[in-house]
Amino acid sequence: MPVEDSIDYTIPPFSFSNQDGIAVNNETVKEKIYVVDFFFTSCPSICPKMKKEMLRVYSKYKANEGVKILSFTIDPKRDSIAQLKSYAGKLGIENSDKWSMLTGEKDSIYSLANSFLVSASEDPDAPGGHVHSGNFVLVDWLGRIRGYYDGTSAESIDKLLADMDILLAEKSE
Amino acid sequence: MKRNFIKYLAPFAIVLIVAIFIYNIATHGHIQHPGKTTYQRECAQCHGDEGEGIETLIPPLANSDLAKQNFDSIPCWLKFGINHRITVNGKQYDQPMYGLKMDDVETANVINYINAQFLKTDRQINSQWVKQQWLNCSE
Repeated sequence: MPVEDSIDYTIPPFSFSNQDGIAVNNETVKEKIYVVDFFFTSCPSICPKMKKEMLRVYSKYKANEGVKILSFTIDPKRDSIAQLKSYAGKLGIENSDKWSMLTGEKDSIYSLANSFLVSASEDPDAPGGHVHSGNFVLVDWLGRIRGYYDGTSAESIDKLLADMDILLAEKSE
Repeated sequence: MKRNFIKYLAPFAIVLIVAIFIYNIATHGHIQHPGKTTYQRECAQCHGDEGEGIETLIPPLANSDLAKQNFDSIPCWLKFGINHRITVNGKQYDQPMYGLKMDDVETANVINYINAQFLKTDRQINSQWVKQQWLNCSE
């Protein structure tokens, strides 16, 4: 009897609102490769650096329909749609379809972070009241996690950009 | 004979020693600024290694007119942060800056580093001055 192959771990269904109030869910990223991170707009420590590195991803794939970026706030109480819109504006992001900053139910966001195998939690002692990993997660068109990158390291994001090109080539084969 | 030989060689020896000295300064001579490590730990995540800032989220330090014109306020900004809208080189910024936990010596070193690298004014300050400025913070 043949041995069954193992089943790929895939991201479960989700739905959140982006900075323009538009719903973003699994259908939005169907057939796309996408990069995910978790942050909050009042984050005093690693987030600005993460956003600066994510801007490199945004700039490089601005015209590529096959790529999306999803940044989830882990502080939905303060990060309303309007707050996310203002933050995106300060970063110079005009295209919310390309780079969505997402908010929703707090519990759903934290459980989604678990699905992406990224740590995020509330911590009154941490600067800004939350702790979270600075990882960027690369997900393929079938919802499979393909890589983790340190969003605070320019060298690690060089690797992400190279891997995204490889993944796009793999998809078009 | 031997005396003459030393006398003859001495100027060459001196030139050689001076040349080695200059070569050493030119290659490894620049001692790292004492504020550089603190800058990289406390400031560079947001303001960048070159003080360039991030879009209109984080203001640049490089050639910042606000910092140059309000040099005496810098110790208070570092200690208590900035929680109001500011204008730097013609652009507005309102992302809050958080106060940093640095002592007077670290603060003086990092201000001298920022000045040397990014503001380029002729000010040179010390920890005594930092403590004096802290007495006048409005927070």
